[in-house]
Amino acid sequence: MLNRLYRWLDLRYGIGEIAEKELTGYLLPRNINEWYSLGSVLLVIFAIQVVTGMLLMIYYVPDADKAFKSVSFIMNEVPFGWFIRLCHAVGSNMMVAVLLLHMFSTLMMGSYKAPRELNWVTGFTLFALVQGISLTGYLAPWSQLSFWATTVATNSVSAIPVLGPTLVEFLRGGKLVGPATLGRFFALHAAVLPVVIAALIGAHLFFLKRTGISAPPFGKDETANPFEAREYHYQGHPGGIPFFPNYALQDLSSISIYFAVFLAVVFFWPNMPFTPDAFVPADPFKTPAHIKPEWYFLANYQTLKIFPSELLGLSVQAAAMTFLALLPFIDRSPERHPLKRPLFLTLVIAGILLWIALSVWGHLS
Amino acid sequence: MIRKNILAILLLAPLLFLKPAAATALEQPETVCIQCHGSMPDRLGAPVNLWRGSIHAENGISCNGCHGGDPKDAANAMSPQRGFLGAPKEKDIPAFCGRCHPGVYKDYLASAHGRALGAGGPTCVTCHSNHQVVKASLALINEKSCTRCHSFERAKTIRDAMSGTEARIVGISGRIAQFQVSGVDTEKMGKALFSVRNRFHTLFHDVDVNRVKNESAAINKELDKLDAALKVIDDEHARRRVVGGIAVAFAVLLAILFHLMKKTYD
Repeated sequence: MLNRLYRWLDLRYGIGEIAEKELTGYLLPRNINEWYSLGSVLLVIFAIQVVTGMLLMIYYVPDADKAFKSVSFIMNEVPFGWFIRLCHAVGSNMMVAVLLLHMFSTLMMGSYKAPRELNWVTGFTLFALVQGISLTGYLAPWSQLSFWATTVATNSVSAIPVLGPTLVEFLRGGKLVGPATLGRFFALHAAVLPVVIAALIGAHLFFLKRTGISAPPFGKDETANPFEAREYHYQGHPGGIPFFPNYALQDLSSISIYFAVFLAVVFFWPNMPFTPDAFVPADPFKTPAHIKPEWYFLANYQTLKIFPSELLGLSVQAAAMTFLALLPFIDRSPERHPLKRPLFLTLVIAGILLWIALSVWGHLS
Repeated sequence: MIRKNILAILLLAPLLFLKPAAATALEQPETVCIQCHGSMPDRLGAPVNLWRGSIHAENGISCNGCHGGDPKDAANAMSPQRGFLGAPKEKDIPAFCGRCHPGVYKDYLASAHGRALGAGGPTCVTCHSNHQVVKASLALINEKSCTRCHSFERAKTIRDAMSGTEARIVGISGRIAQFQVSGVDTEKMGKALFSVRNRFHTLFHDVDVNRVKNESAAINKELDKLDAALKVIDDEHARRRVVGGIAVAFAVLLAILFHLMKKTYD
């Protein structure tokens, strides 16, 4: 039956040729490692977020008077509603975590270097957008945590000279966080950002297909970037391993490991994405004692606190983000092996330690 | 090399601007009552320290909450025009406290303690203390306190009849709070417990042993219903964990299987 269906499709659309080109004939470097499968894991996470988000929209009501109750209804009354909501909430955290790992591997293997500058830029923009979609989704349950975390987050924009107060009002749809904020954040979270993210994922994959996959710098004597800016050249890997079945199995293995961790959190640590304030309806007249942002914003939060002015804190963060976004255009050295780039390695490790320290500090402060 | 040094400076420069985190703990501003009396010796200053360890201080009820007056204006803080009441006479103490605790006041007046008001009977502060006001709990019914006026025998019988119920209420309250912070809709259970707890609290000033025993039994039946509702949620969560365990194990097995399959192609 399946064979007949395959033949029917192949005769009309030549799917055998596509499979040969994109799967069995798509060769990858022989020394490819597990880190390369994180992109596939991220695609799966994004798909889960989209599907669970659509399911949540069936019962969720983006109205300040009804949002909290609708989320409570999903958690308590809708069959498997608790599971879908937890998958969505845990998934958003996992997406940021896996994105960080994906970017870390790209940094360490120097895969951001020419001709893959735009792969990095689109990837980095995706990281920023995922943080944005997480932030806008944070307000959706209209809990004390949502309300006050959004108040703090939007308030930091007021530090921008001249335009700051206007921008805050634009973001909130008024002077304070209120029903108008929920409306615009929900529109961003459920309509605008997913489409932009999907488009950027498409661009990211397009660049990957056009440049060819980079070979890891490990296990080779020659580790310099072979790219020469003379004419377009697809970096193939003759004699490499086929994507299917070899690396597809690695992808499946990594995705299964991800599911094991993800489901362990959903079933055994369901409170991971929440604090007690997440289960109290938003009350604009009652400021909770210790409102903290999500773990991936703790370093930003602490940075704003430790600098003498919020503007300086924001500027430093903007400078650091711009530096990272434009890294391929700043770091033009051909060497890709991290051990042959001691200054780079030191800076990466110092940067990660600084980020961890600021996050822990932000959590404890 | 120069470019690398510039990169290092760019990344490390922000550290120069670091300042210690500002203290974030918000403290309640002190009232003028505390500012003046806190530094006074003996009788005039002692209430401040006693108050600091009270349930009132814990809940932000300051001097003016009971004694009236203006807590922001030192010159007129104790002016009757600003509502200053001063200290009540002994027989007026229950009504003084009853302004905020009307239910308890009613229960007290109906009890043997209340009926003896003005005839040597105890007032609120006899058991709960004044200024260092202690939270109402069964611990207040103790031999040392009760034997100041009468034998402990009957009080002990009442306390024993109530202590099991109190422990159950505390336990159920903790379980509801735990479920509440994991997204379970506990509104109905919370309201039911609130009602049961209030009913139970009416017994705190009752000294009729039989009534206390009968009421405690009726309250325990209500608590049984709450217990049963909580058990349903507990069982559901336990089932979820079993399913979760199987799902995680299945994912791990799949990961191992795919890894082994990949090895066969290497």
